[in-house]
Amino acid sequence: MLMLLAIGLPLLGFLVLGLFGRRFKEPAPGVLASALVGLSFLISVYLLFVGGERFALADWLPGIPFALNFDHLSGYMALIVTGIGFLIHVYAIGYMAGDEGFSRFFAYFNFFIAAMLTLVFADSYPVMFIGWEGVGLASFLLIGFWYTDWKNADSARKAFVVNRIGDLGFLLGMAALYAFFGTLSISGLKEAIEGSLVLPAGLGLVGLLLFVAAVGKSAQVPLMVWLPDAMAGPTPVSALIHAATMVTAGVYLLARSSFLYVNLPDVSYWIAVIGVLTALYGALSALGQWDIKKIIAYSTISQLGYMFLAVGVGAYWIALFHVMTHAFYKALLFLASGSVIHALNGEQDVRKMGGLKKYLPRTHLHGLIGALSLAGFPLMAGFWSKDAIITATLTYPFGGLGFYLVALFTAFLTAIYAMRWYVLVFLGEFRGQGHPHEAPPVMTVPNDVLAFGATFAGFLALPEPFWNLIEPFLAPALAEVEAHPFAPLVEWGLILLSAVVALVGLWAGYTLYADYFKKKLPEWYRAFERAALEAFYVDKIYNAFLVNPAKETAKLLGLTDRGLDATYAAAAAEVGVLGRVLARLQTGYARFYAFLILLFAGLFVLWGVVR
Amino acid sequence: MTYVYYLLLSALLFALGAYGAMRRRSVLLLLMSVELMLNAANLGLITFARAWGSLAAQGAALLVVALAAAEVAVGLALVVAVFRVRESTTVDDLSELKG
Repeated sequence: MLMLLAIGLPLLGFLVLGLFGRRFKEPAPGVLASALVGLSFLISVYLLFVGGERFALADWLPGIPFALNFDHLSGYMALIVTGIGFLIHVYAIGYMAGDEGFSRFFAYFNFFIAAMLTLVFADSYPVMFIGWEGVGLASFLLIGFWYTDWKNADSARKAFVVNRIGDLGFLLGMAALYAFFGTLSISGLKEAIEGSLVLPAGLGLVGLLLFVAAVGKSAQVPLMVWLPDAMAGPTPVSALIHAATMVTAGVYLLARSSFLYVNLPDVSYWIAVIGVLTALYGALSALGQWDIKKIIAYSTISQLGYMFLAVGVGAYWIALFHVMTHAFYKALLFLASGSVIHALNGEQDVRKMGGLKKYLPRTHLHGLIGALSLAGFPLMAGFWSKDAIITATLTYPFGGLGFYLVALFTAFLTAIYAMRWYVLVFLGEFRGQGHPHEAPPVMTVPNDVLAFGATFAGFLALPEPFWNLIEPFLAPALAEVEAHPFAPLVEWGLILLSAVVALVGLWAGYTLYADYFKKKLPEWYRAFERAALEAFYVDKIYNAFLVNPAKETAKLLGLTDRGLDATYAAAAAEVGVLGRVLARLQTGYARFYAFLILLFAGLFVLWGVVR
Repeated sequence: MTYVYYLLLSALLFALGAYGAMRRRSVLLLLMSVELMLNAANLGLITFARAWGSLAAQGAALLVVALAAAEVAVGLALVVAVFRVRESTTVDDLSELKG
């Protein structure tokens, strides 16, 4: 029942703030919302200590119970969601201060947490789907939070429509699953798969369809186009939904279904391919962006690609490890960006920043820690988890050397663009106007906590011969995969190699982008930058081949519709003419009516006689 | 054979009533014409009752009497109500309801 409470508290906040939010004075809705999420966090911690919980409402749908399950995996995710969520809620009290929709914002935020917890706790796919759609709705509402601007509303719609493709995959996956196994329960399915000697031939289809769902939600190639546009929402939204939690729902779905994918090497291979492609694509695109948030957005796409790569090669716990470290440093990067945007009164173009180290010392520190953690600077959180993924491409059963090389190269690019972001924003001379001011404590203190996590969270799982707390913790909830770890010496050699790659990348990024605006760069690099700014024209290609044809078809069908409408309207007009002619009979004189009655009574009698 | 005369009288009264209903413009005369038609029908009914030796038709005649009384009551009430507003008893003035 405590699980229901954990979901119910933010939901209550949503209802209270949604219905009566306008009656509260400014900080009250934020404080209430933050407190409720904090309570959910405490409940999750408590549940983890007492060893989990199960809840089932039998016959919720015919034959499908409403099942929730709090095991180590869902507990782990719930801690990330509510913990990071709480910090971002607190930050948003400062960031959203003075906004007209202050209480509306926190109502949506609480709704998101409730939906995300439903998704995480779900023990059957339909229940997970409720949360899945709920977070999608929250994402839609929050991207379009400043809906009076057409662009924001368009971005929100785009995110929603692209996500529908993934959702269709989820629905079809559930249908296929039900057809093959007759159950939609996750733990029931696990038993069915582990117990059966011969697996149904259609299992691969199920895996593929659920993977499509994950691709949509986690913005993988080819459905990644919505995430950069999702930055139209307020910055805390980008941090919470489009970096730390919701977009990792796809990874969570795959990890939850790990017992399925461990039996599907082919599908796993494709997951890894998509993952590594996404990682590379995101990193390359990030190099050309000028919007402070879009750089991080493409970085998120890239890091999600890493997570998918980990899931694909079979390293499920490593994917989740990266989910956690990524949640810390990416939330930190977004919130630091938020502080910068806040300080510059809404300016988002990095070309008009620079030199902010002097003005925003605290935020500068946050940005530096976030960027280093993202870049994989040795001993930072991002270093351990990303390195674990890169190594896993060689040691886990579905991996391969090709994955390793691309992942390593992407790590190099990651270091470059992380440095680029840092240098352009904080170093050099201030290129903008006005006097930037440091954010209030309500915004910097949550960042301090996140910075702490982004620095030290990696020490929860170290390679041999040190401790690893996360793998044994998550093991009961994940499928068993037989890895072939290297000898510690080889492994540490590889770790050294990725450390060197990260450092070289950081150095390259620094030398390239310090004094960037005074340098003459080779033409090919300029051309690359232009292409990267447009994210390699994917949006344009989609527009040309999918969106515009669909629009034209819709217009054509609209014309047909209008034609049909005109026909019906004309027919109706004819009937109207007839009606007006007949209406003349209604003269209004009583004696005329009397005459008609008599006439027809007479005719009636006559007809009876003649017949 | 004598019944024919009764029936002819009935038809004559009905025709007079119908003519009056169509030609007269005063509400009161209109009502009287309607009464005339009702009683012409009554006469017909009674005649047939006699001819066929049936009580059913006599019953029907009694019903028509009751109906006529009710009709007059409602009709006169309407006439009074209309007169209060319009100060007129001419039916042709009441011709707003037309197509």
